[in-house]
Order: sequence, then C-alpha cells, then structure tokens
Amino acid sequence: MIFKRTIPLLIVFGIGVLAFVQDYVPHPWSTAFRDEMTTWTMVIGGFAMFLGLYSLSHMHVTRIRRQMPGWGYSIFVFIGAIGMIATGIFSDIFGPLAAGTKNEVDLFDWGYDNILIPCSATVFSILAFYMASAAFRTFRARNLAAGLLLAAAIIVMFGRVPVSEVVSGWLFNDRMVIPNLSKAIMDYPNLAAKRGIMLGIALGVISQSMRILLGIERSYMGGGDR
Amino acid sequence: MSTNQSRPRYYELTRRIIYVSIALAVIIPYFYNPKQDFSPSIEVRKVYDKVESLSPGDHLLISIDYDPSSEAELYPMSLALLRHCFKKGVIPIVMTPWPTSVGIAKKGCDEAVADANSMFGKKVVSGKDYVFLGFRPGITNLMLKMGDNLKGAFDKDYYGQPTQGMKALAGVSSLKNVKLLVDLAAMGTVEWWIAYGADKADIPMATGTTAVMTPDLYPFYQSNQLIGFLGGLRGAADYEKLLKIPGRGERGMLAQSVTHVLIILLILGANIHMFASQLLRKKEALS
Amino acid sequence: MSDYPEAVNIQAGAAKRRQAVEMGALALLVVVFLIVSFIRQNPFAEGANPGKAIGLIVAAGLTLIMFSFLYRDNPLFKIGENLYVGVSLGYTVVITWRDFLRPLVYQPLFEAPTAAALQSSLLHLTVPVALGILLLGRISRKHGWISRYAYAILIGWGAGVAIPLVTNSYILQQLTAAVKPLQEAIGPQAPAATTFSQAWLLGTAGPVLGALVAMIGTVAVLFYFFFSVEHKKLGSAVSKLGIWFLMVSFGASFGYTVMGRLSLLIGRVNFLLGEWLNIQNK
Repeated sequence: MIFKRTIPLLIVFGIGVLAFVQDYVPHPWSTAFRDEMTTWTMVIGGFAMFLGLYSLSHMHVTRIRRQMPGWGYSIFVFIGAIGMIATGIFSDIFGPLAAGTKNEVDLFDWGYDNILIPCSATVFSILAFYMASAAFRTFRARNLAAGLLLAAAIIVMFGRVPVSEVVSGWLFNDRMVIPNLSKAIMDYPNLAAKRGIMLGIALGVISQSMRILLGIERSYMGGGDR
Repeated sequence: MSTNQSRPRYYELTRRIIYVSIALAVIIPYFYNPKQDFSPSIEVRKVYDKVESLSPGDHLLISIDYDPSSEAELYPMSLALLRHCFKKGVIPIVMTPWPTSVGIAKKGCDEAVADANSMFGKKVVSGKDYVFLGFRPGITNLMLKMGDNLKGAFDKDYYGQPTQGMKALAGVSSLKNVKLLVDLAAMGTVEWWIAYGADKADIPMATGTTAVMTPDLYPFYQSNQLIGFLGGLRGAADYEKLLKIPGRGERGMLAQSVTHVLIILLILGANIHMFASQLLRKKEALS
Repeated sequence: MSDYPEAVNIQAGAAKRRQAVEMGALALLVVVFLIVSFIRQNPFAEGANPGKAIGLIVAAGLTLIMFSFLYRDNPLFKIGENLYVGVSLGYTVVITWRDFLRPLVYQPLFEAPTAAALQSSLLHLTVPVALGILLLGRISRKHGWISRYAYAILIGWGAGVAIPLVTNSYILQQLTAAVKPLQEAIGPQAPAATTFSQAWLLGTAGPVLGALVAMIGTVAVLFYFFFSVEHKKLGSAVSKLGIWFLMVSFGASFGYTVMGRLSLLIGRVNFLLGEWLNIQNK
C-alpha cells in the first residue's frame, strides 16, 4: 500500500509545492529546476501518446478477432495505418531509406494532404447542414430568455457578414450601424458573461489543483489496487 | 393516425429541402465573384498594424494549434500571416504542440514560401528567413520550456537542422526575444498560451481562432492580454483585405452572406409560424 | 390477421427493390465521378502532374463519400471513416517517432556525438524515460499501479504550476480589466465632461457605460452560478439578470457557431469546385 498509494501521493504533494514555489523564486536554482521538470514532463507526456495509440489499436483488433458486427471496416483502419507508417519510413530523410529531399511533396505528405485533410474537414463540414436543420426545428422564442438569445444570435449572425454593411447603408445611411450593434453585443454583454464564466472556471481550477496537491482528489491514480 | 404518419414525412421533407437550400446557397455564390466591400474589424486591424510595425529581422512566433478539421477557417489565416511576414522581412518561427497539425503547418509554410517568390520576388530559405520547428509533446510544459529556453525545447527543426547557430534564430534564446506571439487555434490553447506563454514572458500576443471560439476571446482582448484577434473566416478575409492579397477568406464571404441570410430567414420564418399558430389557437379558444 | 404475412412480403419486396435502386444509383454515381474526374484531372495528360491529379481525385472521392452520410449511413462512408481513423493513427505514430522519440530520447541516448553529451543525456533523461516506460504500465489491470509514479510527477507539476499562472492571468488581470475603465473615467486623468453630443456619447460616455454594464453583468453571472446560497428576493433578481446576460452571450456564441460551421462547408465546396473540377471564378 505504501508503494501503491502513499509514495505517489507524497510525490504529487512535493513536486506540486515545488512547482508552485518556483514561480515566485527568481534564483538560478529555481530556473534550473523548472527547466529540468519541463524536460521531464515533455518526455513522460510524450510516452502518454502511446497509450492512446494502443487503446485505439486494441479496440479494432478485438473487433476483428471477435468478429463483432462491422468488423470488416476495422481492417481499413489497419490498411490506413500501415500505409501511412510505410510511407513515413520511406519518406523519412533520416530514416533507413533516406528517400526524397526535404522540399518535395512525398508520399507521406501526399497521404496527409489527400486522405486526412479531406476526410477530417468534410466530417466537420457536415455539421453545417445539421445545424441549419436543428435551428429551423427548435430555435423558438417561447419566453423572454429564449427571445434574448434569438435576438442576439440574429444580430450577431447578420452583423458579421459583408451584406450587413450594404443593408445598413440602405436603412440608416451609415454602413456600420448593424456591424457596430453586433460589436456592441460582443464587447459588453458577451464580455460580461464570458468573464463571469472564466472567473468561475479559474476558481474551480485553483480549488481542484489544491485538492490534487493535498491528496483529496485521486481520480488520476486510476483503478486497480488502492 | 394520418397526422402521426405525416409528421415524420414532414420532418424528412423539410430536412431535405433545408439541406438542398444550404448546398445551393454555398455552391451558387462560387460562380459570382463580385468585389466585396467590407470594413476590416478593429481587432484584426490591430494585429495587422502590429505585424506591420515590426522591422525586418524581428521574430514572430506562430503556434499552429489546429488540425485539418478547421482547415477552412484557419489555413487562410496562417497563409495571410506568413505572406505578411515574408513581405516585411519578419522571421516567422512556426511550431506546433499537436502531432496531427504538423502536416498542415508544413503545407502552409511551403505554400507561403512559394508565394513569397511569385508575389514579392523574394527567395525565402528555411533556416535563414523562416524556421519550421515541427512538433514537440508537452503542450503547457512545452510553452514553459520555450519561455526559458526555446532552443532547448527544439534542438532541431523539422528538417533536422540544429537550432543552435541557426541564422533564423539568431538572438532568440527564449520567448522573451520574440516580438509577437500568434496562436492560430481550434483547440483550447489560447488561454494556455496567454497564461503559460505571453503573460509569463511578458510579450504581446494575438490569436486567430475558429468562429466558435471567438466570443471567448473578448475578456482577454479587453484586458490587453490579446492585442487583437482574427475570428473565423471573416477574420481571415479582413486580414487579406488589409494585406491587399485576396485569398480564400475573401472568396468565401459572398457564400457566407447568402447562407447567413438564409438561416436567419429560416429561423424567423419558423418563429413567425409559431406565433401565428399561437394567435390562431387563442382566437379559436375565444370564439 | 390472415392478410399479415402478405403485407410482410410486400414490404420485404419493396425494401429489396429500394435497395436495388440505391445500389444502381450508387454504381452510376461512381462511374460519373470517375468520368468527370478523368476529364477535369487527367493524370495521363501531357504536362500533368500524375501524383497531384490522382491526389485530387482521391481527395474529392473521399469528400463526396463523407458527404454521402447526409443521405444515409452507408458502407462507403464507413470505409472512408475507418480509413481516416487509420491514416490518422499511422500519421501520429510516424510523427511521434520523428518529432518526439528520435530527437528527445533516441538520438541523445544512442547517437550522442561526444562522451560529455552522452553523460549529460544520461543525467537528464534516464529518470523521465524510465518513468515514461512505467506510464505504459497503465495498460495492465494487475500492474497498472506502477504508472502512478509517472502520473504523480505529471499531475503534481501541472497542478502546482497552474495555481500561480491561473491566478495571475485569469483572475487578477481580468478583475483589473473589469475595474480599470471605470477608474479611468472618474480618476484625476479623466477627461472633463463636455456638452452632450454624439462624439461625447460615443467616445467617452458610451465606453464607460458599457464598462459599467459589463461589470454589473459579470457580478450577476457569477452570482447566478453561486448555488451555496438560495436565490431569494434581491438575489433572485440578480440571478435573473445573470441569466439574461448569459442568454445574450449564448445567442452571440450561436451566431458565431453558425458562421464557423458554414465556413467549413464553404471551404469544402470551394475545394470541390475550384480544385477538383478546376472551375475558375475570376
């Protein structure tokens, strides 16, 4: 138990206090400590990426092995992954094959530009359709709060596009009336709400950090023997 | 029974009409390219003026914190910013704390370098006129490390050239030597760069973000923790207009106008229908 | 009741016919796509860049496959989606090796140029690399506790560093900024009041009034989220005011979200029309 729980908690407390104190101490030892710790955390954090990669691979391997519904599609995950790793090895200018020069578009970049970018960008662009459909179906001013939301949304949506300057010029003889109204909504009520939310979140971060340092919050330790 | 059966059909039909309308509202404006007259916002103007005020040889750090899913909004911003740097002779230091952003960062650098040759007649060389440092893990820890020792955080650039002794990084030992930090972000790194980077190193910072994140920037802008920001595709269009180099930002503005007006009309139409139905029901109840 | 089996047969037949029509339409669309692609981006044409042309065809094909989800979830979309996950996985693996493991771990430890450099690397990297390897112990259910040492360092450092930085950047500077405009308006350096005019309204009074509104709004929003006290009478009014500010802010956020999502769609459509179909809109 001492190795599984107590020592890690002591490490959290010790490192945490030193991390807090070093920000206020201008001595070279403090700077050296911060430099060392940032290197440590960069290296350790880099290894954490392997956990994500393993988790994803494991999920798809399990799906194929157990022949779960839709397991055939998981094969394409490994086709894509192996393809990219192979082209990465082939294109690595310091790698075993040392092919290509640094400024030419290589197969690795080709895969990124022509598979990853279109797939990623398109998946998120589909949201535009769903958002329009959802806005039409559900966006109703049923009460004052919803009405305020609706009014602010319409003014801001319209004020941010160039056609608002044209319409503003027609209606008010001044091209910037509607854009300025939109800006005023962003500069004052939006600012107030976002600032309030941010202050709340900041206080939450500080209290959560204190809880972690004092060992009250232990969810990062994970499951298993406690 | 027939009302219950017709409701799903009604939803299906309206859904398809809306999808087709949105698609047409985006496609048709592509074929018309009128000169768009719009005023760049003051927030974008401040970023432009700051870059414009830099001298040749000054360093500008650009953190690429977006991946291909936000490419449409942020790639035009990164291009415009890099073109501005090359035009002015400012040295951009480009890096990213995300592995999936490396490709898009490199693509932007390569395209801007090619444009510098064709647009300004300048031959821009990696390691001399700009540096692409690539990716390192750690995010906030990387920011802290860069604040103390930038060359320690990136001992080699993306192409494997050592940063020690690199001409592009002459005089830059940490973030404190950078004249402006610009974070092009679709992930929540703006607040982290402000706290762990700009405020700690006491350097000015600007940002370019997706439109979704833009409302969250106003508290930082009002407190001068951000000197300015570029918000969404309109922000990219504003910067391109100030730079007088048209790009994807400006080209998308007509479609943006048409689609916004369409969505506003859809929402207003639905609400007018709701109020009209309520009035009719009240009338029927009274009579 | 005796008609039920016939009704099921009719429905099954209609579903089969619909499926056949959809498969036929899909095959036709694929053929049309390939024909249009080879007309607009012929990789075998003289002077063409085959890699770029094929890349554009693949990119456009994947874009359209992803858009097919708008009609219905279909096998092509599932293939595209899983291919995207796989390519992303492979890309991350390569970048992790190239930009993290090789420069930060492998080269300093196994390709150090001098003995002194190797000594320095061993001094600075042995512990973090060991902890990084221990971190991978999280995979094991039985021995996962071994990763707690690495997490302790990461979490302890992260939490400790966050406190002063968050306090400064997100609290102190924000509170200062909230009060500063009002302080400047009433302090000794405040501009003297002039006659009521549009210039005075927009230049002086407007921003001060706006700052006052912003400060009241910030307090109201903070009070709304303070659930430890029951919101009665004056508290209820302040809380309601906070809700109104929040609603305006959410409306503004919705407006920007619409802009953001549509921008992504505009980007994709511009790619299909401008790069794949090569339609210039000069």
